[in-house]
Amino acid sequence: MIEEPYRWVEAIANRREYIEAQLASGSPIAALGYRDGILFLTLGQRRQKIFEIYDRIAMGAIGHPGDIERLRMAAIELASTEGFTRSAADVSLRRLVHYSLSPVMKSAFEQVYGAPYLARMLFGEVGKRPEEEYDGEITTTGATFAQARQDFAVLSGTQQSREQMESFLKADHAPDASFETALRSALDAWSIGHMTLQTSDAKELPERAAVTKYRQEHLANTQIEAGILERDASRAICYRPLSDTELRHLISD
Amino acid sequence: MEPSLVALDRNFSGAAGDFPELLRRRGLLAPGATANSKLQGGTPHQTSWQPTEATTILAFKFSGGVLVAGDRRATAGNTVVYDRADKVLEIDRHSIMAIAGVPATAWEMARVLEHSFQYFRRTQLQEMSVDGKVRALSKLLRDNFGFVMQGVGVVVPIFATYDSHPKPEARLYFYDAMGAQFEATDYAATGSGSPAVRGILYYENNWGAKRLQKLGEDEAVSIALRALDTAAESDTATGGVDRGGKIYPLIKIVSREGIVTFPESKIAAVFKETVA
Repeated sequence: MIEEPYRWVEAIANRREYIEAQLASGSPIAALGYRDGILFLTLGQRRQKIFEIYDRIAMGAIGHPGDIERLRMAAIELASTEGFTRSAADVSLRRLVHYSLSPVMKSAFEQVYGAPYLARMLFGEVGKRPEEEYDGEITTTGATFAQARQDFAVLSGTQQSREQMESFLKADHAPDASFETALRSALDAWSIGHMTLQTSDAKELPERAAVTKYRQEHLANTQIEAGILERDASRAICYRPLSDTELRHLISD
Repeated sequence: MEPSLVALDRNFSGAAGDFPELLRRRGLLAPGATANSKLQGGTPHQTSWQPTEATTILAFKFSGGVLVAGDRRATAGNTVVYDRADKVLEIDRHSIMAIAGVPATAWEMARVLEHSFQYFRRTQLQEMSVDGKVRALSKLLRDNFGFVMQGVGVVVPIFATYDSHPKPEARLYFYDAMGAQFEATDYAATGSGSPAVRGILYYENNWGAKRLQKLGEDEAVSIALRALDTAAESDTATGGVDRGGKIYPLIKIVSREGIVTFPESKIAAVFKETVA
């Protein structure tokens, strides 16, 4: 196949299609920067999708559980050994994502005889000050979309779903929002993303009332999974998982 | 079947979430000394080996949790090298390791331990049990025993933590240099000044105004200061309270809410009122 460039390109294209199809049912994850940190949120009750990676870094992922597990372990091992041999201050998301995870995923994607990673991941790092904050996203192809001081980032099964969530959050979310406001925006963003997964052509954002109804229906029979990275200078470990019960009474529907 | 079984074994048989093992795999952990290299020669140095954990650390349970206190002096032989050493170290939100012994080894151990607990929680998605934590420190001590037998690197720690499951209670452990762990019911002390401290705590617990477990916070701090001052009176390696330089012992309290470092200003106030 190496001697036939055309077939290699074709194989890559097929593989991209295959991966997209495999990830298409992935339930959305929203990460929102708010006044005191970053909130990660999704709904579901099967597998955990939001994880602590290091003192100031968290991850959300969709894809095959086995692949997510391998990449999650790799990220934790890298961050932990760096934090141990140097210091926690030397562990940065920028280095972790760009120099370690991204190249590995890219080469797995291109080795057409081997299996690619079926995973799409979203990382967030909380800084001591809001300006130092950083979000990063890696897709299976190894492409990294990263931006310093992004107000939000989302992950979903399809491109269309992600775009809908983004356009909603662009209008609805402000980085200095309180936790309660960010929580509500994140739930709405999840609902919009999840609604869009079920339709094939969503041009405009759904009606507000429809979103609320959809959210209420899903909240009634699914668990909220959430975690926050708190920007608290006095504490080394910033990540804290939030329980479903803890969040329920903050949602006033 | 073989490869999957190997993977199974690595992922669920004590090796999972083991941070020292990860460091060893990557060659980041200093190799341990072998205990028998010199023993075979039977050098006189070996037979006359003396423990040199020159410091005083004490810990006891009181009404607000566990109080852990340590003096600040670091010595090398007869020389005082540092008078602001921190020997009471926070390992995680609810655990303290207080050290008597060689600082280089002890601090490295604390660092490994701290990362071990975090690494376990992050990879395994559950908190390490108190028994697991106690055992992890025991393993580090045993791995270090080769150095101890060569006359360097002895560490004798105290470990205090708060167990929220199944019964919420403060737990206190002390160790020997080989890694044996002992759970203390009321108090523990380690270091060269510990005989004096142990005497005081025994006395207070049995014939004092109140049992140690019934003491309020200020009363507990007062007894800790008196005990360290007593230890410093006869043990040159213990700093006690430096009245001139206003250097006070480090006192930390572990409770259900986490760890609180007792502020120096409050220690000074208690000291002035009940000790000086």
